[in-house]
Amino acid sequence: VTRPLIEPPAVLRERVDDALRARDRLRARPFGETIAGLAAAAARWRGDAALAAALPAAARLSRAMTAAVLPLAAEAIDADVMTALVERERGSGATGRAAREGPALVAHVLASNVPALALPAIALGCLAGAAVLVKSGRDDPLSAPAFHRALSAADPELAATVVTAYWPGGDPDREEAGLGRAPVVVVTGGDATLAALGERVRGRLVAHGPRVSVAAVGRTALADAAAVAEALAVDVALHDQRGCLSPHAVYVETGGPLAPPAFAERLATALGAVAQRLPPGPAGVAERAAARLLAAEAEWIPGAAAIAGDGGTVVYEDGPTFRPTCGLRTVRVHPLADADALPALLPAGAVECVGLAGIPAAPLSQRLRALGVSRICPVGRMQRPPLSWPRGQHAPLGVLLGRDGAPQLAVET
Amino acid sequence: MAPGAEGLEADLAAAITAWTRGGPPPDFEPWALRIFAHQFAGNAPYRAFCARRGLTPARVVRWEEVPAVPTAAFRRVDLACGPPEAVFRTSGTTSAAARGRHLVPHLALYRASALAAFAHFVLPDASRLRCLALVPPPDLRPDSSLVRMCAWVGEALTRGVEWCVGAHGLDAERALTCLADAEARGEALLLLGVTAAFAQLFDACRGRGCTFRLGPGSRVVDTGGEKGLRRPLSRAAFLRESWTLLGIPGYYCVNEYGMTELCSQRYESVLDDRFHGRSLAPRRLLAPPWLRTRVLDPETLAPVAAGATGLLCHHDLANAGSVSVVLTEDLGRAVGEDGIEVVGRAAGAVARGCSLLLTALDGS
Repeated sequence: VTRPLIEPPAVLRERVDDALRARDRLRARPFGETIAGLAAAAARWRGDAALAAALPAAARLSRAMTAAVLPLAAEAIDADVMTALVERERGSGATGRAAREGPALVAHVLASNVPALALPAIALGCLAGAAVLVKSGRDDPLSAPAFHRALSAADPELAATVVTAYWPGGDPDREEAGLGRAPVVVVTGGDATLAALGERVRGRLVAHGPRVSVAAVGRTALADAAAVAEALAVDVALHDQRGCLSPHAVYVETGGPLAPPAFAERLATALGAVAQRLPPGPAGVAERAAARLLAAEAEWIPGAAAIAGDGGTVVYEDGPTFRPTCGLRTVRVHPLADADALPALLPAGAVECVGLAGIPAAPLSQRLRALGVSRICPVGRMQRPPLSWPRGQHAPLGVLLGRDGAPQLAVET
Repeated sequence: MAPGAEGLEADLAAAITAWTRGGPPPDFEPWALRIFAHQFAGNAPYRAFCARRGLTPARVVRWEEVPAVPTAAFRRVDLACGPPEAVFRTSGTTSAAARGRHLVPHLALYRASALAAFAHFVLPDASRLRCLALVPPPDLRPDSSLVRMCAWVGEALTRGVEWCVGAHGLDAERALTCLADAEARGEALLLLGVTAAFAQLFDACRGRGCTFRLGPGSRVVDTGGEKGLRRPLSRAAFLRESWTLLGIPGYYCVNEYGMTELCSQRYESVLDDRFHGRSLAPRRLLAPPWLRTRVLDPETLAPVAAGATGLLCHHDLANAGSVSVVLTEDLGRAVGEDGIEVVGRAAGAVARGCSLLLTALDGS
């Protein structure tokens, strides 16, 4: 694993100063040029052979998995999506105008759970008209500098406004140097990280804490259960189920051509097939122990059964109670009498995305929004969020610009 | 109750008590197989669990082959070979329904096991000390197996107990008064309680500017680890505080490892080593001869290589009335020939443990 360079605080401070000056030089530049630069950089980043070679070891993902997820991260930095986002949040015609408002500096502290979180962080910061500091997570100190290299080649003036850095969490001197002057700090991480940084950040804090996702399968979709199971298995397996968009539970409507327990079997089979082409990465003993114990517990729950295989573990439970799993491609399947009952089964503030198959989103969307859900999408697309995804129910640019507005929910079809 | 159940448990209790008087330890494997047959006959959920694996007393010939149940099973079903004399519940931050229950048909065996191990590992010099209990008294927590054990220790192995945890948590004034009184009389004390209560006692000492030099032979027994602590307290810091604030040296500070689901406990080796000429041996958790622990690979449940980390699986003969083999959520490794070290928990495991006794009391 390549060890990231950890710079002295003074050097970090100078680099942020340089980025702020570079940002001042771009104040007259229309957003359309920024969008073009970001899209070109993403395309270039996608082909970074050095990144592809080094990332699996750093991120503890298999080579096939990083090969699968890097294109997804690059595709999200899409020129059309960025244009629509800027037009929507900054007003019609905004892509032809220069930044008239926005924070001087947006600092992002990234989590380690999934790689390439730096790409949307940098893109959104640039589209907010800010200089951007990205502090990478421990398990992916590579994607951010790789994107910076790509941006330097595609758009050196924009690249000069971006600083990528790494330091171990809990370093007060570097946190002060990197985050101290940022009017907006976006933190993604666990509860301990959020609590610690929440006390030290002086600017406006945008916190993204731990969340998981769920899926629901309608009885009509069960006519092609194999295809739905395959799509869900990919959603579960991508990023080895570490992300907030990874489904931990699947609710299956009863009364369809396939009973929920049988669907659980199909899903286990599909997970096995997906694991053939997307093998899991190495897991620590604590994670492996958790997966073993979750399966062992199922044997003692009335109406529950665990189906463990090479591709992960599916636990079928008669009871509807939502409980996040331990990850490592472990998912619970529950029966659902009617899709309309789904929102009542989910806890508030814990679910980021709901994947649906054969269930219309409209009747559920208001109630899911009230629970804190930010995204509804078809199964099979849960790990392909567009840049415009209102993560944490925040408007992607509005939250950086200080005009967040009402909680948002995006419905993708 | 299965026929002969009381006799089996009484026989084992007698064997344990005989060991404390210099007799041989219970011969583990014959006892393990006899107890497995007893549990298979008298514990229906466990019998079904074993039967699903094709394991019966006729087919199990080695103690390592006796099937292990996960601690989660204690949250879901009652695993006992007969009507319980006591029901102990795990401490935790989750709802009462999610807490584990250990049904103990005969307390006499638990008592024999607990006292024998405590006397061996904590009182190898046969000291009889006054005890300061930093746990709630039995009337406040009748469902705590730790509290029950502390009460037995107080009755049988000390010169009396001062209970210093009340309905609202640690009664610091009472504890400090007892410490000052003991110091003034040059008396040695046994301080016995949950780690979180010790942390609060240390804070109270510092807050009032109190330090004590307790009499020689004073000792600390703590259990529960870092769970429920209001501030981080490493093991090294705990030992430093014990010396600085109480005058008790580290080699008289013994950490206990126990679980509601077990009737036997492990203890840190420091005093046992010190009184048996092994003062340079590494700290490790030792068990009495009727408790064995295997360190298992999480995926295969096969033993890991010596010194490697895995899931801890305890085989406790004193659990004869329920289930003897328990697969825990604790991660650990073997240390030396006879000890283990606990190094963590399975990822995302439910918070539980003795130190949460205080959390439950004071609502913090």
